[in-house]
Amino acid sequence: METVRVQSVTPNDMPWKIKYDASRCTLCGSCVSACSFRAIECKVERRRMVFSEGEIPDPQQRFSSVPVIRQVKDIQHYCRGCGICEKVCPNDAIAPERNQDTRHPIISRCLGGDSIKRGGRKNLESSVRTLDKLRIGRISQMTDPSLDAQRHTFDMLAPFGRILPAETLPFSVDSNENLQIEDNMPPVRWIYPVVIGDMSIGALSWRMWEAVAMAVAYLNEECGMPVRMCSGEGGVPVRLLKSKYLKYMILQIASGHFGWNRIAKAMPHMVEDPAGILIKIGQGAKPGDGGLLQAGKVADHIQAIRGVPKADLLSPPNHQGLYSIEESVQKMFLSFNAAFKFRVPVAIKVAASSTSVSVFNNLVRDPYNIVGGFFLDGIDGGTGAAHEVSLDHTGHPIVSKLRDCYQAATAQGRQGQIPLWAAGGLGKTGDLAADAFKMMCLGANGVFTGKLILQMAGCVGNDMGRCNACNTGLCPVGITTQEPALVHRLDVDRVAQNIVNYFLAMDTEFKKLMAPIGNSSLPVGRSDALISTDRAVADRLDIQYVC
Amino acid sequence: MAAIISGYDTKQRRISTQALLQKIYRSLEQGETEFEITSSGHHNIGGPLWTEDGRPLKFRVKNPGQRVGSFGLEGTEIVVEGSAPADAGWLNSGAELTILGDGGDTTAHCAASGKIYIAGRVGTRSGSLMKHDPAYEVPEFWILKNTGSFSFEFMGGGIGVICGYGREDLPSVLGDRSCMGMVGGTIYVRGPVAGLSDDVWVLDLDDADKAFLKENMPVFLGKVGRPQLEKELTDFTQWQKIVAKTYEERNVRSRITMREFRNQKWVADGGIFADVVKDDYTHVAGLVNAGDDRIKIPHWQDKRFGAPCQVACPSNIPTQDRINLLRQGKFDEALALVLKYSPFPASVCGEVCPNLCMDACSRRYIDKPVAMKELGRLSRDVAAPELKAETGKQVAVIGGGPGGLAAAWQLRLLGHAVTVYEADKEIGGKLRQVIPTDRLPADSLQSEIQRIKDVGITVKNNTKVDVGLFTTIQKESDAVVIASGAHNAVVIPFPGHELMTKGLDFLKEVNAGNKPKVGKRVIVIGAGNAGMDVCLGAYAMGAEKVLCIDIQRPAAYKHEIDSVKSLGGEIRWPVFTEKVTAEGLLTKDGELLEADEVIIAIGERPDLSYVPRAWLTDRGMMDVDACSQVVKAPGVFSIGDTVQPGLLTHAIGAGQEAALQIDDYLDGKELTPIIKPEMINQSCLSKELFKPRNRGKFCVTDAKDETLRCLSCGTCRDCTMCLEACPEGAISRVEKDDGTFEYVSDDDVCIGCSVCAGICPCGVWAMEITV
Repeated sequence: METVRVQSVTPNDMPWKIKYDASRCTLCGSCVSACSFRAIECKVERRRMVFSEGEIPDPQQRFSSVPVIRQVKDIQHYCRGCGICEKVCPNDAIAPERNQDTRHPIISRCLGGDSIKRGGRKNLESSVRTLDKLRIGRISQMTDPSLDAQRHTFDMLAPFGRILPAETLPFSVDSNENLQIEDNMPPVRWIYPVVIGDMSIGALSWRMWEAVAMAVAYLNEECGMPVRMCSGEGGVPVRLLKSKYLKYMILQIASGHFGWNRIAKAMPHMVEDPAGILIKIGQGAKPGDGGLLQAGKVADHIQAIRGVPKADLLSPPNHQGLYSIEESVQKMFLSFNAAFKFRVPVAIKVAASSTSVSVFNNLVRDPYNIVGGFFLDGIDGGTGAAHEVSLDHTGHPIVSKLRDCYQAATAQGRQGQIPLWAAGGLGKTGDLAADAFKMMCLGANGVFTGKLILQMAGCVGNDMGRCNACNTGLCPVGITTQEPALVHRLDVDRVAQNIVNYFLAMDTEFKKLMAPIGNSSLPVGRSDALISTDRAVADRLDIQYVC
Repeated sequence: MAAIISGYDTKQRRISTQALLQKIYRSLEQGETEFEITSSGHHNIGGPLWTEDGRPLKFRVKNPGQRVGSFGLEGTEIVVEGSAPADAGWLNSGAELTILGDGGDTTAHCAASGKIYIAGRVGTRSGSLMKHDPAYEVPEFWILKNTGSFSFEFMGGGIGVICGYGREDLPSVLGDRSCMGMVGGTIYVRGPVAGLSDDVWVLDLDDADKAFLKENMPVFLGKVGRPQLEKELTDFTQWQKIVAKTYEERNVRSRITMREFRNQKWVADGGIFADVVKDDYTHVAGLVNAGDDRIKIPHWQDKRFGAPCQVACPSNIPTQDRINLLRQGKFDEALALVLKYSPFPASVCGEVCPNLCMDACSRRYIDKPVAMKELGRLSRDVAAPELKAETGKQVAVIGGGPGGLAAAWQLRLLGHAVTVYEADKEIGGKLRQVIPTDRLPADSLQSEIQRIKDVGITVKNNTKVDVGLFTTIQKESDAVVIASGAHNAVVIPFPGHELMTKGLDFLKEVNAGNKPKVGKRVIVIGAGNAGMDVCLGAYAMGAEKVLCIDIQRPAAYKHEIDSVKSLGGEIRWPVFTEKVTAEGLLTKDGELLEADEVIIAIGERPDLSYVPRAWLTDRGMMDVDACSQVVKAPGVFSIGDTVQPGLLTHAIGAGQEAALQIDDYLDGKELTPIIKPEMINQSCLSKELFKPRNRGKFCVTDAKDETLRCLSCGTCRDCTMCLEACPEGAISRVEKDDGTFEYVSDDDVCIGCSVCAGICPCGVWAMEITV
């Protein structure tokens, strides 16, 4: 007789139920060995059969006890649906199954008395993405010159840095008719239009972070693609700061200012300037939440690089010392331009918001020529850890907001002066080239992406509630964990190669989209190339409605 | 004589391309094969045209439009006197086209056979998509000077010759980004070349190449009227050849591997984290691992956690060990083991103890608890364990009740000389004085008391200790145990309290065989276990109706209450007494409960008048530390009801513990509290391995049968389930020299699957979680 009460937590309360076939299981133990969430365990089950075999009722009993694999009935160790058990099972005997009737959102709050935290993306079902309602509809079947996507060369370069309009360039012609630069020019780096977004060394395992950094270096050195990576806030390995590969790295400063003392101390030893500086004001995936690194992930090397003890590390949601965008220009832009003697472009990243255009308009004035880019981050982006309520319910879609900013700039004749970079769920369907291309047609100079990079590395999480356990530090594939036994699962070389290969594939796909519209350079603002079968989307984005 | 065809009408107005071409067709039909055409940008002159009899066709064209010579067939020879705009020689299918000036964009575009000679330059994309149909001659495309950008794009076959004559100053005589997507054919080029696609190789000429150029260069130079250049243009040191990569070569990844990149180019000496993290990136763990990359590691934790029976037992009796010995056939050892913990296994465990062990027993979650009472009784007549060597130390025990005797027994077994001072005429305390004999058979108790006496304990009966005697005892002893119990019955001073009988006195009278007189209708105040004993005693002494009252829920065990009720007794609560009268008991509610006799049994207090007042707490109990030692009197220990009211088994446990502390004390050791092991968590036990017996039919037949029912919680029962279940065969059973054994998991083989922990019936295997 089992004592089960109404309040007992059982697998049918959980978001995922383990489907298990004892007749296929050899009890090899692989599934339990591999499960980092302790969501399954070996247990013994009783089998009892009462039967009669004779001509007349002749009751007999057969009893046996059988070891089996079972789901743990514990809200602390609920199955995340990562599917690692299924992956390692040699016999297809076990798999997680999404539970439509889960009570998890309620009981985890009831039992925990605390807000739900997780990683990943917005998980709420929403309608078809705006980007998927757009097509590249202007197909130029004759272009001059004709463009063959696979065989022609294209200029795939986007600016990071303050672009001065031609008439204000400080140029003159000397007596020998040579062009002279009279004054300091704001630094501009022409880089690949996809920046690998800001994921910190605390959020990612050291293997993952290094694999990304290495992939970026490889893309530059071996493939000739000037891809840049943003460090995220939380410190940068000193050995990288002192290496020549720093030139591919955009350093981030956020509200916690973690790790910047080591960056400052490394300055005299730097052999290259960093690719840029990104001031993070907000994050699209969780506006209102700051950085959230839970104590389980604050490993020794993180403590060392960040200069903090093991604890939940919360970056404040707002910069402590900033009260207005004007002040941020004055303080942050000026300071970080000055930190590298005005040689390194400085950009800002904000969460998309209904007020983003005002912020952008303020920056566009930029009388000091120190605003090197506006990174706009929409909802649907990923994060390593956030309160679920922030993830699912706060934020602003990126598409129309990016468009608004671009159109605000064109209305003033200032488009392109402050490069616009967009992010927030781009590449969510796995196809970043298409998303990025459409964003560029709408006015982005380039895009940035983070979550997709993790998926290239083997992340099994998705936005239908699968895994999303980045915050626990128990990432089953070694990406968002600092536990050596889990980190060792990640193959640095393979991850770096996957990222490189994805970029190579994406590069081809960009060209397959650029050729038909006749662009051999990035189609920034080519909204004439876009059509939509959705009237509202077409109207809102000011593109052609078709049916 | 050639046909003269003009692109102008009689009024010198330009005629249309169609009109001009129609003129050519008519002349051709009339048998003309040579044409001199004065064009005005007319398109498509020169092809595709032929004669029925195969005679060749010759065209001399001035000022043509686009696509001169397009689709030109074999046998057609076209000479353009001057330059030609775009698409000259487009889709050339065998004609010989000579342009004595420059060619426009896409000259020789898609040419598949025939020859095209250009005396000057050609525009962008010239030679693109040239191909060679193997059934026909190789197409040739000769250019004296240079091409525009994107030349020879997607070339699939044929020969291009770019002489670069006079254009040595250009960065590239092929323009920029040429040979994009070239998959076949050969391009000979003289002069600088830059910006070629990755699809081609640039090679030196071999002898066959030189022979081809040597043979054909004069022909080309003759056609374009520059024979004097032959010497200059046949200096083959200035030439190179461009060929497409083969299909196989194109698919070769020429990049270095990521591992090579990491080892050779990436941040040296271990990468960017080498100063803060120790890691070897060549080591990539699987999802299932042995050794250090396990995320769970099993440990065989025999006896790390206590069995519920032992932890729950105030006397700390390890029943699981007793049963394990029985299971191993060590019957005598098993029955003797209990005596190391209690001298009263039969009287207490087997009879009067409420058996907290059984309440805690894991087996009750399967069917019913292990039969501890029967086990206890089995040890009634077992001989005492062997004594340890005499220590020469003298310990006095004040009080010969269960606590004092337990202490005395243990101390004696440990080799100390022990004297017990007992106020009554015989030792046994409340076991003997107040427990009804139908609950505790006198012979059981007697044989166990005899066993205590037989180990050589000095008993001084009828010796009530007073201040004087105590002082003497303390002086003469190395240690003293105060275990005089609680014998002063508590009486509440409500009106008429002097009419009441004290329960303890009543029970003592009953047990002493004095058959105290009792009323027909009796009220007992206090529904604890003692109260129930009083009720039973009252019935035994002839009472007809017993009512037991309490101010709160009865504290007595259910089976005690049940036995009172079975005799007709009634229990009521909450009932608050206003006063006691000759008629009975008046409640505060004003109800009169009629009775001939009211007995109060709400507890007893110790009489500690023989020790200094300073040794007592505010509540009048002995003030002891966690080691049972009197706080203000080192060497004096106090246990049982003198410290805190409790069960018999509490007193026995306290006696045993105090004895162990005294042993240390006498040995000069520092005393530390005895910590009981933590009780094992039920979830660690694989109870499912035990077949439940039908609760409805279940009854204990033989205590020895309990060896099958005891789970052996927390103590390995040596069943080898883990040995058999481990999927990797990582577990082995190791016999040790002292006859004990252990199970060991080999870290290099174990994958941390937790099957051992999952199936262990005893909860001995536990997983250490490393992440």
